[in-house]
Amino acid sequence: MISRRKPTINPDTAFSPVAGVSLEQFLGELGHRFDFSEERPAYIDRTYLDSFDWRLFEGGGTLCFERESHARRLVWTPHDSRQGRVMLGRVNKPPRFGWDYPPGAMRSTIGPLLEMRALLPRIDLVTRVRTLRLLDDERKTVVRLRVEESRPRRAERDDDELNQEQPPVAVRIVTLPVRGYDDELADLRKWLYDSDRVTPRTPCLLEEAINATGGRVADYSSKLDFEFDPDMPAAEAVREIHRFLLGVMEQNLFGVREDIDSEFLHDFRVAIRRTRSALTQVKGVLPASATDHFKERFAWLGQVTGPTRDMHVYLLGFDDYRDSLPRQYQGDLEPLRAFLIAHQKLEHGQLVERLASPEFEELIRQWRDFLARTDLGARSKHGDKPLIEVASKRIREMAQRVFEEGDAIDDRSPPEDLHELRKSCKKLRYLMEFFQSIYPANKIGGPIREIKRLLDNLGDYQDLEVQAGKLRHFAHQMVEEGATPADTLLAMGMLVDGLLRRQQQKRGEFSERYARFADTENRQRFQALFGNRGGK
Amino acid sequence: MNIVAVYNIKGGVGKTSAAVNIAHLAAQDGFRVLLWDLDPQAASTYYFRVKPRIRGGGKKMIRGKLDLDDQIKGTDYENLDLLPADFSYRKMDVALGDIKKPALQLLKLLRPLSYEFDLVVLDCPPSISLVSENIFHAASALLVPTIPTTLSIRTYQQLLKFLKENKLDRIDVLPFFSMADRRKSMHVEIMRQLPKKYRNFMDAWIPYASDVERMGLHREPVTAFAPNAIAARAYQRLWNEVAERLSLQPM
Repeated sequence: MISRRKPTINPDTAFSPVAGVSLEQFLGELGHRFDFSEERPAYIDRTYLDSFDWRLFEGGGTLCFERESHARRLVWTPHDSRQGRVMLGRVNKPPRFGWDYPPGAMRSTIGPLLEMRALLPRIDLVTRVRTLRLLDDERKTVVRLRVEESRPRRAERDDDELNQEQPPVAVRIVTLPVRGYDDELADLRKWLYDSDRVTPRTPCLLEEAINATGGRVADYSSKLDFEFDPDMPAAEAVREIHRFLLGVMEQNLFGVREDIDSEFLHDFRVAIRRTRSALTQVKGVLPASATDHFKERFAWLGQVTGPTRDMHVYLLGFDDYRDSLPRQYQGDLEPLRAFLIAHQKLEHGQLVERLASPEFEELIRQWRDFLARTDLGARSKHGDKPLIEVASKRIREMAQRVFEEGDAIDDRSPPEDLHELRKSCKKLRYLMEFFQSIYPANKIGGPIREIKRLLDNLGDYQDLEVQAGKLRHFAHQMVEEGATPADTLLAMGMLVDGLLRRQQQKRGEFSERYARFADTENRQRFQALFGNRGGK
Repeated sequence: MNIVAVYNIKGGVGKTSAAVNIAHLAAQDGFRVLLWDLDPQAASTYYFRVKPRIRGGGKKMIRGKLDLDDQIKGTDYENLDLLPADFSYRKMDVALGDIKKPALQLLKLLRPLSYEFDLVVLDCPPSISLVSENIFHAASALLVPTIPTTLSIRTYQQLLKFLKENKLDRIDVLPFFSMADRRKSMHVEIMRQLPKKYRNFMDAWIPYASDVERMGLHREPVTAFAPNAIAARAYQRLWNEVAERLSLQPM
């Protein structure tokens, strides 16, 4: 359980002087009303950290690495100031992954939000801080008021001067409560609110600083979130989908190359898969000659990125593998970890070479040029047709295929039938996700959720089989590469056994999952949504 | 939540200074710290410029009739809160005597705070009484400042005897030399001999230093107003050793 300090009052909004009022004017007025002493100004270097996809910010707070004279600390500040801040002192260099933090409040706060993602510096600021301490008659601090003047720091500058070339963030005046002195805080805050010299502003410095540089926080998402008009030409919608997916690939490329964390490659590969799916599944919307070429090229890209992803999957799952074994055998698995790490490096090295190859650069360039063409729709069969017509037809056909394949599966069906069904379900899911905005949101949500549930089962069923097979393959490879202890091979054998058992369990759950997906109600939903021009 | 008591049967041994500076250093290290000033002389409370008063009465609070939470005051330092002393604490024995299971009362009062603080430092009054018995039950470690004199050794032995007789020897006893003056041959000799006899003596020791006395003028921990002074560095070593010996971690 994460413990948090009860705040004395909430929330601690920041204030800024209004236009035409100088900070000194404001402080002069404050001094007339309150007894305060001012500490020597200090400079704080701040680096805000977050994952590439802003998991911390989206998850409810900001993480800042602060350097102030000799002190080095990490500070978690929740957006909701009623929850307390979490600090971690004596940090020379912030660990990149949640699991590298010492057990404690910081790890239990950021770890679950970050999962497998690495922390990256999002912005560097240098802040000049003037701390005013409001005193009582014992000269005891009863409220702190911090006046902060921040500027984003350019990466190459490393001195303590405010960087004059960067746009400043507006002066922020922040009240910091001292426990047990609520009345004094309330007095000061009331004075600030009543004052026409200052105005309240957002408490999130990170957001203000990024805005000041012209950027935007939480500007990355790999989620498909389009707003299409049902009557727009189908080719235009498909162009937008492809452009978005190409953007995702390009944004993730540096993280894939640097191997910052496994999710860069994951998002990169999902974008490839969706691109291939859009190319094959939305038929007749783009010129056929071109789509054949790109289908083949993206299949190649999917293939060359596969081995590194496999290694990521096994490394991410390693702790679960180990924990699934009886305690006395868990240590035997360590040589497998070393093998995975070594091979992940090798595979990644090859991947980086491929991504630097003329083939890859050519593919991206050609694809970008192709998507910029103005005559996309005109040169195809259905490109100029209304989107709703093309989308509904494709989804209808794919749903029919899914129901046909699923209905044919019984308890004796071979695994291949389930794997085929999985492929069809994935295609159907992507199609529905691409075009969901042209259907009523309250109606398409249900079928998408149902197909995801079914896909979870089918995915586990196939993945467990693949993992078992791959582990056997690794065992052979480890023996070939050198002396692998027999105990390690035996432990891996136990893992394979466990995986295959779980796979059987998933097989057992399939019929119930499928029955729910294919019940009359869901079939009717599909019919109603995609059977004609859709429900809008 | 770890509870560490700074305790000695004898007064004037540098107990409050140790409690105040250790609490301050722990807070700087990211521990959420509560310093409870149990000494009616209220020296810790004075150092942090807080008024030595429990609203509603210390006696009532000790009996569990007032919420501890409402009495806690923030200090001038982040992460460091204080539960101030109250003049009524001089009669705490009497207040405790009226309660069922009086020896466990402090622990009972502190328990609700366990999610809020990583470390509670108790600045204890001298003497052996029902209050100190409460402290021994509540704390997981006793930090015992010991002046390297023969008299101090005697009181240290008295403490060990008391703990043993009352089956309280589960508590970690961490004695350290306090107000040590290396110019005095007796101090030097005792500092050499005693750790051989009592292996649990800490390596860190606190010198007799005027900076510590100046805490009363500054009304701040020496680790705050003169962090590079000899005394401050000694407290830093002491805190490091305590944290290591007790495997303390901010939660």
